[in-house]
Amino acid sequence: MKNSIRIERAIKNITQADLAELIGVSRQTINTIESNRYVPSTVLALKIARVFGKPVEEIFNLEDTD
Amino acid sequence: MKARFLFPYWCKFLGIGLFLVHLPVMLLKKQLGFDGAPAGDSIFNSNHSFFMITTLTMLSGLVLIAFSKERIEDEQITQLRMDTLQLSIYLNYVVLIISLAFTNRNDFWDVMRVNMWAPLMFFILLFRWKLYRNNSIIKDDAA
Repeated sequence: MKNSIRIERAIKNITQADLAELIGVSRQTINTIESNRYVPSTVLALKIARVFGKPVEEIFNLEDTD
Repeated sequence: MKARFLFPYWCKFLGIGLFLVHLPVMLLKKQLGFDGAPAGDSIFNSNHSFFMITTLTMLSGLVLIAFSKERIEDEQITQLRMDTLQLSIYLNYVVLIISLAFTNRNDFWDVMRVNMWAPLMFFILLFRWKLYRNNSIIKDDAA
């Protein structure tokens, strides 16, 4: 699963640490999600989408291999 | 995903304390007049009590270190914890099977005594290593 968190963060001008604090996870978690090493749960994906004010599908996209 | 069966964060330090208290006592067991072995012919003699107290101190220390929450215990850490626990159990049983294959009756109890703490130790070391790797990758990304 791909995601555009890095781009959305740049648009909103917030750091990984800011995003982590907003949704109550560690900075490591945001980093592993951004680098596609960890797939977040539905709850966490919804929380991330809410921070950026966009639907989940605009931030997370399935790949052909999923 | 909520981690329901973990101790509070501060318990990790209590666990480290218990483990560190146990170490010098075990190293000096001969000087203290104990052989550190479980019960021989009878139980609740001084040797058995020494074994029980030191073993309980060590094991409760390791359990607290292994299963206390991290400062931020989120779902990614929980997933990492589960994966590492599975890996350490596999590793433990591979080591145990190999050890038993090359063990005679005299060494059997030594293998079993090591196996009391080996899975917890494997888990703690692997988990700490993976957390360290996670943090290193973040530093590399930030650089």
